[in-house]
Amino acid sequence: MPQVLTKYFGSLEYLEDDVVQFPSGLPAFEEELEFLVIEPAAKAPLAFLQSMRQPGLCFLALPILAVAPDYALAMTLEDLEALHMDTGRQPEIGREVDCLAVIAPPQDGLLTANLLAPVVINRSNRFGVQAIRLDSTYSHQHPVAKPEDVCS
Amino acid sequence: MLVIRRRSGEVVLIGRDVQIEVLEVTGTQVKLGITAPKEVLIMREEVHITRQQNAAASGEISTLELASLARQFCK
Repeated sequence: MPQVLTKYFGSLEYLEDDVVQFPSGLPAFEEELEFLVIEPAAKAPLAFLQSMRQPGLCFLALPILAVAPDYALAMTLEDLEALHMDTGRQPEIGREVDCLAVIAPPQDGLLTANLLAPVVINRSNRFGVQAIRLDSTYSHQHPVAKPEDVCS
Repeated sequence: MLVIRRRSGEVVLIGRDVQIEVLEVTGTQVKLGITAPKEVLIMREEVHITRQQNAAASGEISTLELASLARQFCK
């Protein structure tokens, strides 16, 4: 099996099927076109988006439905096209696409999830896109956890 | 903040090289046409916010924070 050097898990064997192609990269990381999705059972439901090119670049993410159970996608035509999906409707989370919220380190003591721009992955062809919404229904800094809770 | 009222088809100029035209107004949405030199960066605010958020998210997340998250979301 091929191996990749990761930020949090050292050198890791991976399956080609777990690598996601991002044709436009991620905003601010436009040159990162391939990420490995790592979902360690011990840390479920946390997911790690590890760059295949830069060992030091890894995003922490959570399934969007774990953060916001009634989350409704609002992908643009361009984003649906980037995933080669039907542009006439929104895809179904869990069945057609995986949908992850990128987690940012604490500011003011809270870890936050970006619900404005979920990472959406087409389950059938493993294409991905960070689908920035056009509306302001969801926050880009949705609070998810207080790190100090763990110390009490 | 400078506030200017414009109708569909009318234009605002910024500096010598940037021109913004109101193309269409429908309900709560406004369609803008922007003409500017190649070196002027133009993006939706949400894209800018996501770029900043991704840059922050690419930083270090401590094992303490990971444990806290895993515990909170563990089924």
